[in-house]
Amino acid sequence: MNTRAVLTAVLAVASVVVLAACGSSSTSTSHSSTGPTTAKTGGTVTLVEGTFPQSLDPSIDFTTQGAEVHWLAYLGPYSFAHASGPGPGSVVIPAIATALPAVSPDGKTYTFTIRSGLKYSDGSTVKASDLTFAIERALKLGWSAASFLTSTIVGAKEYLKGSAKSISGITTNDSTGQTTIHLKSAYGAFLDVLATPGVSYIPATTPIKPEPNSPPVGFGPYLIKNIVPNVSFDVVLNPSYTSQAIAGIPAGHVNVHVKVESNTTTEASDVLNNTADVFDWGDTIPPALVQQIQSQASDRYKPYQSNKTFYWFLNTTEKPFNNLLARQAVNMAVDRPALAKLGSGALAPGCYLLPPLMVGHPTQPCPGGDPNAPPNVAAAKALVQKSGMAGQPVTVWAQNRQPRLEWATNYAATLNAIGFKATLKTIADAVYFSTIETLHNHPQTGFADWQQDFPNPTDFYQNLVDGNAIAPVGNSNYEEVNDPHIQAELKALYPVPGSQLSSVASRWQALDYYVTKQAYIVSYGYLASPQFVSNRLDVSKLVFSPIQGNDFSSFVLK
Amino acid sequence: MSDGAVGTEFSTEMPEALRAEGEELPPGIGPYKLAWRRLRRNKVALAFGGLFFVLVLMCVLAPVYANDIAHTGPNDENIAKALNQYGLPIGPTWHAKFFLGADGVGRDIAVRLLYGGRSSLEIGAEATLITMVFATILGIVAGYFRGPADGFISRAFELIWAYPVYLLGIALGVVLAISGLDLGLFKIGGNSLLITAIIIGVIYIPYVGKPIRGQVLGLREREFIDAARQQGLGHLRIMFGEILPNVASTIIVFIPLVLANAILTEAGLSYVGAGVRPPNASWGTMISDGIHLLPAAVHTMLVPGIMLVLTVLGINVFGDGVRDALDPRARIRIDH
Amino acid sequence: MARFLIRRSLSMVLVMIAISILTFLIFTTIPHPELQFAGRFPTADTLAHIRHQWGFDQPVYLRYLKVMKLIFSGQIVSYSQQINVVQQIFQYLPVTASLAIGAGIIWLLTGIMFGVLSAWRAGRWLDRGLTILSLVGVSTPVFFLGAVLAYYLGDKTQILPAGGYVSLTSSPWDWFKHMILPWFALSVLFIGVYSRVLRSTILDTINDDYVRTARAKGLTERQVMIRHVLRNSLIPIVSLWGLDFAAVIGGGAILTETVFDLHGIGQYAAQSAQQLDIPPVLTITLFGTFAVVMIGAAVDILYAVLDPRIRL
Repeated sequence: MNTRAVLTAVLAVASVVVLAACGSSSTSTSHSSTGPTTAKTGGTVTLVEGTFPQSLDPSIDFTTQGAEVHWLAYLGPYSFAHASGPGPGSVVIPAIATALPAVSPDGKTYTFTIRSGLKYSDGSTVKASDLTFAIERALKLGWSAASFLTSTIVGAKEYLKGSAKSISGITTNDSTGQTTIHLKSAYGAFLDVLATPGVSYIPATTPIKPEPNSPPVGFGPYLIKNIVPNVSFDVVLNPSYTSQAIAGIPAGHVNVHVKVESNTTTEASDVLNNTADVFDWGDTIPPALVQQIQSQASDRYKPYQSNKTFYWFLNTTEKPFNNLLARQAVNMAVDRPALAKLGSGALAPGCYLLPPLMVGHPTQPCPGGDPNAPPNVAAAKALVQKSGMAGQPVTVWAQNRQPRLEWATNYAATLNAIGFKATLKTIADAVYFSTIETLHNHPQTGFADWQQDFPNPTDFYQNLVDGNAIAPVGNSNYEEVNDPHIQAELKALYPVPGSQLSSVASRWQALDYYVTKQAYIVSYGYLASPQFVSNRLDVSKLVFSPIQGNDFSSFVLK
Repeated sequence: MSDGAVGTEFSTEMPEALRAEGEELPPGIGPYKLAWRRLRRNKVALAFGGLFFVLVLMCVLAPVYANDIAHTGPNDENIAKALNQYGLPIGPTWHAKFFLGADGVGRDIAVRLLYGGRSSLEIGAEATLITMVFATILGIVAGYFRGPADGFISRAFELIWAYPVYLLGIALGVVLAISGLDLGLFKIGGNSLLITAIIIGVIYIPYVGKPIRGQVLGLREREFIDAARQQGLGHLRIMFGEILPNVASTIIVFIPLVLANAILTEAGLSYVGAGVRPPNASWGTMISDGIHLLPAAVHTMLVPGIMLVLTVLGINVFGDGVRDALDPRARIRIDH
Repeated sequence: MARFLIRRSLSMVLVMIAISILTFLIFTTIPHPELQFAGRFPTADTLAHIRHQWGFDQPVYLRYLKVMKLIFSGQIVSYSQQINVVQQIFQYLPVTASLAIGAGIIWLLTGIMFGVLSAWRAGRWLDRGLTILSLVGVSTPVFFLGAVLAYYLGDKTQILPAGGYVSLTSSPWDWFKHMILPWFALSVLFIGVYSRVLRSTILDTINDDYVRTARAKGLTERQVMIRHVLRNSLIPIVSLWGLDFAAVIGGGAILTETVFDLHGIGQYAAQSAQQLDIPPVLTITLFGTFAVVMIGAAVDILYAVLDPRIRL
């Protein structure tokens, strides 16, 4: 997912706060607002964000700014629980489906039944076949996460190519509401895919063309209205939802006016001065205001650890990083405390690809040394000498925005300090990833990040480390690593269903430790996302989902 | 006519012009010498010219300052010392180290200021060279030949003139950063300062080319050109032997003007992310980095900004003096 | 005259076609344009689908013609968000128009005032003071001036809003307050240029033959100044103003709009250019240059009408 991050500041001893946050809020807020509550309903709050969603059409968008809205306006068969904290907030709950799916023993067939009699906001009935339509529409419109569907569902690829009229792997029965989905091979994270906002029910009468300004009707507690592209839109309560509310998916209390301010300083100071109510969780508090916010608004500001890893990729097919010692030297020399300071508190130093809240995050000490202590540059330099790669030219690819650029500058300086000849190559934000994902560019090393699409380590590994991800364009395995040990492990781990993840946690840990030890990926930290609201909102009622951020349906005015 | 071309042309213009200012005219003095005399009397212009010279000298001596006084390079980061716990840079220390404070990644602003000045001035100088050479050639060719050549060149000027400068800069900046500029014979890397210089240099060609063309249109009807033609001189000889010296004063007047604008444009392009590439400094990138640190670390924006304004002001006031001296009737109009 | 008109219009159209081709070519040099809106890690099939859908599998000239057709029929949509570009431009137009009209009036009137005062007191202290002021104005980058103003008058002292735009219809007073700093920042450079140009034109005109004739006829100095000198000197200023105004309306005030976060046409163009989103860039460039070239041609024609000696 794309999020917008700007040079930030804070350093609220992220790890401590994060632990505290997870402990305290998750128990008090989950399910607090289902059914009739004592909370006052009515009013409008203003949410300020740095970037407009890629599209308000759920079949196109895959940004955090879009997902936090589509999560509420377009329910699919499943959804993520409305709860704070990595545990409760990562649970998949039935939404339009009546119960969790029945999965065949080989893990390739998912069967579920949808609730009968649900009405869209325009009054028409929700039908089982609408899901097939929505998925087909998403493929046709080029949904940014389409690969989750084309790589898993039987016949999705053929449909996209035009060689099939419909997706053969999905069969539905509108009278019984039964839906069966056939997968090409067992894929343990498929339930999570079914809970992703893009996989939702929309009426089959919706035109198959992008509708960013008048998004399709859907079923959910909220409606999207009054869209002024790139400026603002309203997320208002759906009056027809309350009477057909689904357990665990609260109806919400207030309307939300979403407004774009392309300057995070204005954004943050508006919330600080209570002229706006919610700071978008995809943005970062600017460094200049962190101190002020911590002293004046500590009761309404809380950084939450979100599963997002920042790392340097090292291309294993190119000199000097085809050499293990050279890679390990980099892992040893990266100045994680300095990078954290440059990311001013939004970054918690670390060394593993899988973030701390993800199943499979290793518990062993980092192979390159304590990430919270200054690095041993001398030892790293000696290692480079030993590798015979000293003096090798290295091009560091970097994104041209703060603090990513600052991180890359520091990284290039580190590489120079341990004996490489590093130069920086900065690429405009919008084309950065498409450039480094074009295989023939063979980027030697550079910036990369990954934010979970769903709470399953498969999401990280199938995209970033799996040898099968190497492709001429859209290559996501920047390291171009195809390690037999990794491949064997992944083959065994992918089919494990999400509900049984904990049984293979140690195996994921061992794998992630191996990847770090081999230094294919040099991770340097994890992002903390801000929950920052005005004093108009009741902080005790707020829910911060580890997947969708601020839960609009938990907003209550005091 | 041969070597007296310059004098001939000016001798018809100068005395009248100078009389307009009520000046005593010593007989037999060349126009450039006269101009120099006038410039010498303009103390304000000289003072600002001197300021510019000092600033340039400081930037030239940047390595000396970095090595012997500050003991840190322009791209050396000192995050532990120069950033506080919130990641904000320290302000001016007024000591050898971090004399003017640090920037957002803990680099010494004073050192970067001097190195940044080198980039800004280098780009400015290269761009000015490109503008002046092409504008002179194209302007003279268009004005001298008229007809289709003039039509083509004038349309080209119009195209560049109408083109949105910063959009072009951003577009080229983004595209070239990925692939660099491959001109077959030679290749310019995406990080090269030359790309920015070329963009800026091209942009200003019409601003200088148009007035030169206009002036040449008038000159080509004059007797001394007719005489040269009758002597059987070739086109090239006439254009660059006879006409060029007569537009020389226009060229001289435009040099500071273009230089000043080129430096400003570089800063603007850097602000929108299409100028000098990080980690290298230029005044433009430094200001724009500083703007991102507002409202906490104002010095990171003010220091390079003031330096930039002073430099450009130095060029402009001095250039104004040069123009007054060369052409007291101020015949040449400034378009921006 | 008719021939001149036709020639001028023809060359205008040629220049615009050349500009559109140039812009298109610059952007088509990026490899794999489809990657930019295919999301992260697209499959080969998704890419093929998008290539076909957007016509990236067609030759360059066909793509160019297709885009041009879309622009002039108002059907063009952006790559990144797939929303109608022309509608977007109309949405941003009030912002840019507010900026251009307000600033345009300020810089024209102030520029004329400074220029006249400067010429009137040529060589005296007032002239020198105004000259230095003008030169400081033309030496200050607009985004630096803007940032300094926004910081000291906006963020720090809260005297005026530091940025953003409030529409005129929703609150005229707020609109005015939000526009003061952008107007001022944008005007400074132009005031510097205009007052310098006007000063030298006036001084130039004073020595022209017809002014001497007018003086010789016995007109008062005041009459000569206003009726002959000023009127003739204002022609280049007003034509210059026309071009600059057109440039700002056409999205030329990118730096001002960005530093004050106004979300006008210029900022939209700049953001699109940074994302290599061709349709908005191409459309705005075309509309912007259209404005500049047309006003340029109008000025040339006006000149030719006013002064038959000039047939460019």
